Amino acid sequence: MTTRQFLISAWDWNPWVIAICVAAILIYGAWPRFRFSRKFGWLLAGMAVFFLTLASPIDALADGYLFSAHMSQHLLLLLVVPPLILLSLPSTPVPDRSQIGRWKWLNWIVWHPVPTWCLGVGGMWLWHAPALCNAAVTSAWVHRLQYVSLLLMGFAFWWPIIGPWSKQRLSPLAGIIYLFSACIGCTVLGIIITFSPVEVCSIYLHPLDRLGILPLIQNQWGLTPAKDQQLGGLLMWVPACLIYFCGILGLLARWYGKAYDEAIIPESQLTKTLIEEPHVH
Amino acid sequence: MSAAASASAAIESPQPGSAARGLYSWVATVDHKRIGILYLLTALVFFAAGGIEALLMRIQLARPDNTFLSPDAYNQLFTMHGTTMIFLVVMPTLFGLANYLVPLMIGARDMAFPRLNALSYWLLPCGGLLLHFSLLAGGAPALGWFSYAPLSETPYASTPGVDYWGLSLLILGAGSVAASINLIATILTLRAPGSTIRRLPLFVWMIFVNSFLVILALPALNAAIVMLFIDRHLGTNFFAPTHGGSAVLWQHFFWAFGHPEVYIMALPAFGIISEVVPVFARRPIFGYEFVAGSTVAIALLSFGVWAHHMFAVGMGHPMDLFFAATSMLIAVPTGVKVFAWSATMWGGSIRLTTAMLFAVAFLIQFTVGGLSGVTFAVVPIDWQVTDTYYLVAHFHYVLFGGTFFAVFAGLYYWFPQITGRMLSERLGKLNFWMALIGFNTAFFVQHFLGLMGMTRRIYTYPDLPGWGLFNMISTVGAFLLGASVLVLLSNIIVSLRSGKPAGDNPWQAWTLEWAATSPPLAHNFDRVPPIRSRRPLWDLAHPQNPDPVVGGVAARDDFVLEKNQAGMASFLISEGMFFLMLILAYLFYNNHAMSGPTPAGTLNPQRAGIYTRCLLASSLTLWLAEKKLKAQKHSAFRLLLGLTILLGVVFIFGQGREYLRIFHEGVMVDSNLFATTFFTLTGFHGLHVCVGVIALLIVMGLALAGDFKQGRIEAVKSIGLYWHFVDAVWLVVFSVIYLRLLL
Repeated sequence: MTTRQFLISAWDWNPWVIAICVAAILIYGAWPRFRFSRKFGWLLAGMAVFFLTLASPIDALADGYLFSAHMSQHLLLLLVVPPLILLSLPSTPVPDRSQIGRWKWLNWIVWHPVPTWCLGVGGMWLWHAPALCNAAVTSAWVHRLQYVSLLLMGFAFWWPIIGPWSKQRLSPLAGIIYLFSACIGCTVLGIIITFSPVEVCSIYLHPLDRLGILPLIQNQWGLTPAKDQQLGGLLMWVPACLIYFCGILGLLARWYGKAYDEAIIPESQLTKTLIEEPHVH
Repeated sequence: MSAAASASAAIESPQPGSAARGLYSWVATVDHKRIGILYLLTALVFFAAGGIEALLMRIQLARPDNTFLSPDAYNQLFTMHGTTMIFLVVMPTLFGLANYLVPLMIGARDMAFPRLNALSYWLLPCGGLLLHFSLLAGGAPALGWFSYAPLSETPYASTPGVDYWGLSLLILGAGSVAASINLIATILTLRAPGSTIRRLPLFVWMIFVNSFLVILALPALNAAIVMLFIDRHLGTNFFAPTHGGSAVLWQHFFWAFGHPEVYIMALPAFGIISEVVPVFARRPIFGYEFVAGSTVAIALLSFGVWAHHMFAVGMGHPMDLFFAATSMLIAVPTGVKVFAWSATMWGGSIRLTTAMLFAVAFLIQFTVGGLSGVTFAVVPIDWQVTDTYYLVAHFHYVLFGGTFFAVFAGLYYWFPQITGRMLSERLGKLNFWMALIGFNTAFFVQHFLGLMGMTRRIYTYPDLPGWGLFNMISTVGAFLLGASVLVLLSNIIVSLRSGKPAGDNPWQAWTLEWAATSPPLAHNFDRVPPIRSRRPLWDLAHPQNPDPVVGGVAARDDFVLEKNQAGMASFLISEGMFFLMLILAYLFYNNHAMSGPTPAGTLNPQRAGIYTRCLLASSLTLWLAEKKLKAQKHSAFRLLLGLTILLGVVFIFGQGREYLRIFHEGVMVDSNLFATTFFTLTGFHGLHVCVGVIALLIVMGLALAGDFKQGRIEAVKSIGLYWHFVDAVWLVVFSVIYLRLLL
């Protein structure tokens, strides 16, 4: 099989994935105040990435062949799809109190930065514990659970940064610290995976060649299991940090943008007297 | 002055008292302006030393097969030149300027912690003298400024030069981190009303970002030096590949510090240029937001590019690929800055003073250095030119043509503010042209030498076609550059004695430091003018046509921090990075089987679990103690504080017993790499617990003396922060070392 044949044939037209994409776009379009705007573009981009992650050849490769493909899926579901969808939501300054009453505990999780940070960064670490990483490839249910949990943790992680309720968002400096520390978190994991001499996910060491593409991967692409793991670690290390980095740039842009208001203090407090009398020295 | 006022002044900002006079008043000073000047003068002394070292090397290289210097002397000279220029000249100069200017620019009376400030300065001469003491103690270090291990291990570097190098860098590192903590706390908590973060002068912005770079990057170097020390003095093998150590780990650690360090030396220079260019182009900076934002971008990216220093090591294609990409990426925010400065000058009515000339030369030379830097991101080119004179030319264009020219620009710009006298423009122009011609003559030809294959750090070279000529040109240029510094020195001396009096704002500048008198009062300002925009003095001079107000008529940032906690938090960030390095080293060495003692055979996770619970409980008791103190319940506070100390002591004793048991089993720090990393990691943590207990005991003493009765509980909160941090670190250490054995 050539690369071209593989790229054409390895699409998985999973009805669930297509249904979710279509449903999301229809629901968004059915919203009474719907307009064609940039926000709709974010939604389309989010759904496109979602579709590509789960239906394109990346998914076929992640299914037991390449750790690095699995890692790309992981990053896309955790760090790309959720923020794109959150960006598509209309922003309101305050949440509707009557709606959150019963969901207060959930609101705390998606609002307080400590639990959300732990979910976003912990999710990455958790699914790379060797046992869980292997189970996600061998068991279809664990596999689905992994996808859903990654998406949910991604939503939780990005909520304090770009959640729709602007009053609940972190202040820009705190947001920068939030994202930078997350970058350190995934850098450490990436470094460990990159330099680890043992397989993180041993299942990828001896792939079951159901599609007959193993010679293509190992001979033509030159991706031996060792190189594959290094690549996976580097994906977690560098591009993941670049996504957080984009978030930080977005925060800076928002901070310096004119929409951001600072607290107003009275004019009378504007002059500061350092010392009333001249200093004797 | 009334007694009450003087007492409050003493609390606000400790002063040496009226007894301090003359030279002693400089030794005892805690005034940020004097400390800033001390920094600058010390840097000047070391600049002379580093410069003479450079000239000696240029004499040696002037002719092929020269015998002016022995190979060993040459090795010592290039090592001392690099180390001196980076740690004793560039960083102190930038810290000196930051120290002097930041409080003035934000309308503060002094730095957040004046005594800490004095300490950070005095660590500089200590470190510098220690480094130079190696000359009397068996020879200076001779391995280059990065002292690659395993070359720096005892078998290959048996003289104590490396030890002096490491010790002095640890001391200088501590001073730099302390100064940065101080700057962060100052900028976060002492800004005058109206001086919001979005209105800060760009110099302050860059110093702010830069301080974070320092506290995050320096710990990597410190951790690496600590490991090297343990190797050299306790016989362990962190970096000895013959005994299972790593030959590459030092490079990763060093460059994880070393690349951010490049930006630590560049960002303040960017800040200087961002102040000088607008004033002499008579236009506000173009794209303030982009200059500020790109600084953050550079700082963040600088942590993700270090491996481009190691392309020639052989890290494999995937690594090369990713780090080539990020290294090219970092050119983008730097380019944004260069465009912003150029756009500021575009259409401005430029006054070509000496300061502006240096700034313009900076712009061109830094761009040249930046572009040659991008070529190193292309892996095959890097393989070809790494460790040649092309590299030497590149980083001198960045650091001399860039940073030093910016510092000269800043010196001509701020000298009137600091001394009250103008520097002579006539001598200044002479200084500029000599420096410009000298610098470019010395270093431009080195690009060609490098491409022709001349490697750096070799004491001489054969008489190949062109090499002798280019090297002679370079040497002539270097001496011209040296002479230009003499012109600068004489300019400073002449102007100090008989320079034109400056007046308060000789350049009609717009930032707050020029609102002070020149030289400023001891307390900086009597009254800080109102700040509504980024150019408060423009608004003051043009009430009819003020700058647009940034973020509301009279704005305040939406966060308020307490200075002790801000300082402690930034210190803990730095400590966290240090522990992260030790933890990574532990993981790195313990993820494969090795001969000798193993974690499973040596450690007792159950018993360690008990001590862990004690330590975690102590965090709880301290938290409760803080609550009691807040509620003014002093006896309950003291009880809970005592309990916390007790639990901390139990943990220390528990760990001590574990250590003794392990020693009795014959496992020592040099048994194998498991033992080494285990003792290093837990030992440093134990040290931190001990420090925490001592700090808690001091708090207890203060509490017994009734110090917190007035509700000044910031100290308790800060120490509490430290204690919780130490506990959190143990939680991670426990998971990394013990929890794996239980699973």
